[in-house]
Amino acid sequence: MSDIVVVEGLMKRYGDVEAVRGISFRIRKGEVFGLLGPNGAGKTTTIHVIATLLRPTAGRVAVAGHDVAREAAEVRKRIGIVFQDPSLDTALTAYENMYIHGLLYGLGGEELKKRIRELLEFVELREHANRLVRNFSGGMRRRLEVARALLHRPELLILDEPTIGLDPHTRARIWDYIREVQRAEGMTILLTTHYMDEAEELCDRIAIMDRGRIMAEGTAEELKSLIGSDVIIARFDRPACFRDPPIKECRELPDGRVEMVVENAAKALPQLFDAARASGLRIVEVSYRRPTLNEVFLHLTGRELRDSPSSTTRPPAFMARRR
Amino acid sequence: MGFARAFGVMVYRQLKRFVKARGRLVMTLAQPIIWIVFFGVGMGSVFSFSNPVAESFIKQVFGGLDYMTYLTTGVVGMTVFLGSFISGITVLWDKQFGFLKETLVAPAPRSAIILGRSFGDTLVVLLQAAIIALVAKAVAPSINLAGLPAALAYGLILGMGLASAGIVISLRMTTPESFQVVMNFVMMPLMFLSGVFYPLDRLPLWAKAIATANPLTYAVDGVRYWLTGASAYGPLKDLVILSAISAVFIALSVWEFRRATLD
Ligand SMILES: Nc1ncnc2c1ncn2[C@@H]1O[C@H](COP(=O)(O)OP(=O)(O)O)[C@@H](O)[C@H]1O
Ligand SMILES: [Mg+2]
Repeated sequence: MSDIVVVEGLMKRYGDVEAVRGISFRIRKGEVFGLLGPNGAGKTTTIHVIATLLRPTAGRVAVAGHDVAREAAEVRKRIGIVFQDPSLDTALTAYENMYIHGLLYGLGGEELKKRIRELLEFVELREHANRLVRNFSGGMRRRLEVARALLHRPELLILDEPTIGLDPHTRARIWDYIREVQRAEGMTILLTTHYMDEAEELCDRIAIMDRGRIMAEGTAEELKSLIGSDVIIARFDRPACFRDPPIKECRELPDGRVEMVVENAAKALPQLFDAARASGLRIVEVSYRRPTLNEVFLHLTGRELRDSPSSTTRPPAFMARRR
Repeated sequence: MGFARAFGVMVYRQLKRFVKARGRLVMTLAQPIIWIVFFGVGMGSVFSFSNPVAESFIKQVFGGLDYMTYLTTGVVGMTVFLGSFISGITVLWDKQFGFLKETLVAPAPRSAIILGRSFGDTLVVLLQAAIIALVAKAVAPSINLAGLPAALAYGLILGMGLASAGIVISLRMTTPESFQVVMNFVMMPLMFLSGVFYPLDRLPLWAKAIATANPLTYAVDGVRYWLTGASAYGPLKDLVILSAISAVFIALSVWEFRRATLD
């Protein structure tokens, strides 16, 4: 029993909106598993089913061997969740939010107080413990929610878009906490994101989700190997595709550009220029990239996925962190 | 996780929230005190006569009480009625601000969570009712405060029922605007057709019918009995009918909350 989450043929319909259309995946104990997909892909719906907050329309979902529909109480004991939208009691202090959560999960006494102190320290909110959450910034709230979800030492930590709407500095900190929790406690983590760099950075395995379906699943490397080595994206003055070597694969994208998969773009580009000239085509624009998850997503769905905003520039505070 | 513990946690949470929001105490006390002062003083002067015949006629109309005593004891019941209903409605805020999800994923009995919430809020409201009773005693000296604990027991039953009703409505409500509709078209009429401000026996039939199904009618009558000895139905009948109506709302809130999802 090394699979802590088993999802088989999950379907979820809201009225006539089919949010999730029959997906299956398994999460292994101790891994970080990511659901990567654009807004509306059905990620939140999927994790709400896993967290017992939505009843599946069809299919079977089990956490640690317990069916989410029939043994909700067993499942709830084992999960900690950070929702996409805040779920704190803003009229209370950070400490009180933690304390009430602890009591609801059966903790108490000195042990609970000690654990709250440790976790507030961990998310760097110790000195804000007695402030009302109402006065917290978005980043502080998210950190508090992470701490709260960890309080009862869940077997499975679920994070729904953990860094959405956060500034790059706070995002880097949250990434750090996630890595730290995983390293120190070996906790299984399920996270959703629509930032491909976040998925690549944090996840052992990724399922790419779009319009209620899982399009592909594997490690970031496995997903990239779905396309080969390099990808050339070009726009010609009229629609055209080249399929002669060294180009292994060619397809037109919905926006009119052409995606070509090659072994080595540096060598293939001059040949492409020659081929284009020979067929009387003008190249309007051209670029090539090592495949990223964006190329994979583009390849699978014909649409692009985004990086998290300005995540490439890491603030110095991140480097200076001691923990 | 046991029922009693989860119940206790939610009582704790509601009390904590109340202590934090001191402004709420002032707000919820202000309204009944305004009724007592402005409505009571005005109507009390209309109904007070130097002629002993007229005086005894008025007392007959108000169950043997002078108007100030009649009104203030009614306002004690009204305070519980409105206060606990509004506290139940705040589940809507929990829904809005997301704390509801935190309670929905908790590994604690849902029934304990929702009953603990209602109970915690009702305790707060009973504190307010007790303060109102003291204010009432100041303006209507014939009130018997020895009967206050018994009167508050009626308040507890009414409060649990109305908090539960508020919860049921807010779990089903999709917009905060519907709150105004419920307040104006349900709560206000019930407040008036309950014997808080005037006796019910001379009302037209349709109004009497509403009053008969109104839990506040029996709570007010019971509270008034324990604080003054005057009662239209008798304390036992009040207790039985009030408990029955409240039990329905409490059961509904538990049922609704146990099956609540995010659909
Ligand atoms: N409560 C709901 N009622 C109706 N439709 C919903 C509800 N929640 C989500 N949806 C729809 O289901 C689809 C998937 O949504 P969601 O699971 O939130 O996706 P994601 O988290 O990947 O952005 C969207 O089209 C969304 O509009
Ligand atoms: Mg989402």
